[in-house]
Amino acid sequence: MSLAVKSLSMIINGKPVGPFDVPESLMMIDFLHEYAGLTGSRLGCGQGICHACVAILDHEDGTSEEIRTCITGALYFQGKKLRTVEAHARHDADGQVTLLSPVQQKFLEFYSFQCGYCTPGFVNAATVLVEKLQRQPIDKAQVETVVTNALNDHICRCTGYVRYHQAVKDLILETPGLTKGTDHGK
Amino acid sequence: MANKKRIFWGVVVVVLVGAGAVFSGALDPSYSTTAVDKSAPSSQWLRRGKYLVQAADCAACHTAANGAPFAGGVPLDTPFGRIYGSNITPDKEHGIGKWTSADFYKALHDGLAPDHPLYPAMPYTSYRGLTRQDTDAMFAYLESLKAVPEPNKKNDFPFPYNMRTLMRGWNVLFLKNALPDASKGDSAQWVRGRYLANALGHCTECHTARGSLGQLNLDQTLAGGDLGLIHAPDITPKGLAARGWTPADLSQFLAHGIAPQGSAYGEMYTAFHHSLRYLSPADNKALVAYLTGDAPLAPVAMPKSGGQGQTLGAGRLHYLALCAGCHAANGRGKPNVSVAMQANSTLRDGDAHNLIAVMLGGIAAQKFTGDQAMQSMPGFAARLNDREMADLANYLRATWGGQRADVTPEMVAAIRK
Repeated sequence: MSLAVKSLSMIINGKPVGPFDVPESLMMIDFLHEYAGLTGSRLGCGQGICHACVAILDHEDGTSEEIRTCITGALYFQGKKLRTVEAHARHDADGQVTLLSPVQQKFLEFYSFQCGYCTPGFVNAATVLVEKLQRQPIDKAQVETVVTNALNDHICRCTGYVRYHQAVKDLILETPGLTKGTDHGK
Repeated sequence: MANKKRIFWGVVVVVLVGAGAVFSGALDPSYSTTAVDKSAPSSQWLRRGKYLVQAADCAACHTAANGAPFAGGVPLDTPFGRIYGSNITPDKEHGIGKWTSADFYKALHDGLAPDHPLYPAMPYTSYRGLTRQDTDAMFAYLESLKAVPEPNKKNDFPFPYNMRTLMRGWNVLFLKNALPDASKGDSAQWVRGRYLANALGHCTECHTARGSLGQLNLDQTLAGGDLGLIHAPDITPKGLAARGWTPADLSQFLAHGIAPQGSAYGEMYTAFHHSLRYLSPADNKALVAYLTGDAPLAPVAMPKSGGQGQTLGAGRLHYLALCAGCHAANGRGKPNVSVAMQANSTLRDGDAHNLIAVMLGGIAAQKFTGDQAMQSMPGFAARLNDREMADLANYLRATWGGQRADVTPEMVAAIRK
C-alpha cells in the first residue's frame, strides 16, 4: 500500500522549508522531526492533551497563537509561518547559543524545570503571552490570572508548575511595556 | 337584540368566573399525607427513594456544578427567560423542609408547590405519571439528606411570564394525564420501560419539540427537540434504527455512555452521568424495550456515500489537518481519546445541527463508567470559516454517515452566532 502524498512548503523559524512530498495524514510533529530536522518539539501524549508539542503559528496580522503539532496535520501548515522552540535563542555562525530569549533565561533562573520534556511547550506558551502583552499591555493586578490562563493547559510532571508560573510572572512584571498603571493602581 | 346582549354578557361573566376560579387556585387539587409523614422511613425505603431520585435525574437541575447536592442553582435557559433549579434539600427556609408528602406529590403531579405554581421547566408534565408510592419514597429520601441553607436564585422572566399563576391556565390547556406511547408493545418489560421513559426519566421533555407556549408537541413525541445548543435527537424506534442503533448498543450506551455509535455529549452526558448509568440491569433493558418497541426494527445499514466531488476533497484535507490526529485518518477513533466517525450516530443524523455545533464549540473532557474517558475536543470556530466548516461537515456526513453533502456555509453561520 502506498501513501498518498502532497507537496508542503512553509516558513519555519524565518526560513523557507520545502517543498517536501509528505504523506497526507502526516502529523506536524513528525514533519518537524523527520523532514525539517527540528527535534526540539516534544512528542508527549500524541493526543493534544499535554501540550509538550506546542509550536507558535504566526499570522499575517502580527498576532500569533499556540498550536499543537501532534494533532495538527503537516499539510495544514502549507504556506504558513511557524516558530518552534529552536527559534528563540540567538546563535553564532557555528550554531552555538550566544543569547537565550528572556523567557528561556527566566526559566533557568527560576529552576522552572527538571527533566525538561515539557519545556519547549512552556517556552512557546510564555513567548506567545509576552508578545501579546507587548501589543496589549494589561494591569498589574491581572498578571497572576493571565499567566495562569496562558500556562494552564500545559502539563508538567516534575516541578509542579509553580516555578514556571513564578518565572513568567516575574518576567512580565519587570519588563517595561507589558503592564500598565502603577503598583498602587490596583 | 337585548336578548343577544344578555347572552353575550352572560358568556363573558361565566368565562371570567371560570378563569378567576382557575387562576386563583380555588380549583387546585389537594391530597392527604401518608405514613411517610408520620414515621421514620426504613433504610430499604430510603434506598428505593434514592434510586428513584437518580432515575428521575433530579440532580440535573437541582445540583449545580460544584454546588451542594440538591441545593439548586442550575440555570436553564428557555425561550421565555432564565430559570434556576430550586433548593430541594430539607432546609426549612430555602428548601422543602416544611413540605409534606402530599405537597411533594402535588408538585410532581400538578406542578403546584405549596406557595406558588411551578413552571413546566420542572417536568411535572412527565412526573405526573409517577405513582404516589414512588413520590413518597423520593420525598422520604430527599428529606433524609442534609439541609443546605442555600437561598434560591431569582428567575429571570420578563412580564407576563413572571406571573406564576398563569401556569394554572397553562396546565388546563397542556397538562395531560399520560404521554403518548412512542413505540408498540405490551410486555411487562415494555410497560415498565414506558414508566421509566415517560414519567421518571422524562425523556420526552428534551426529545420532543415544543410549541410557542412551551407545550410539548405530543403528536411528535420523542421525535427530537431543539432546546439548548445541542439538540436532542429523534429517539423513536424509526429514528434510532435509521442511525444504526440496536437494542444491545442502546443498552450499552445508557449504562456506559459509550457505544459503537458514539458517546453521550451535551445534556445527554449529564443525564447519563447523574441518572441513566444507575438504572438497574432490568430497568436498563426495560427502557430499551420501550424505546425500540417489543418488536425492534432492524438497524438501517449504512447507505452508500451521498456526495462526491471537489467539496469532499476540500473537506477531507480539513479532516486530515485538524481531526485525524485524534479520530484517525480512517475515522475509527481511538479508545479513551475520541469516538469513531465511521457510522457515528451524529453523522448519520439527517439534521447536521449537532455535528456543526460540536465542530464549532468542541466537547469538554468526559468520564464514563469502567475508567473509560473521552478527551476534550477543541472547538474549531476560530480555525475554520463557514465554507471550510461546511466542506468538513459534508465530508464527514457523506463519508461516514451515509448522508447527502448538503451542509451550506449559511447553515454554519446560523449556528455560529
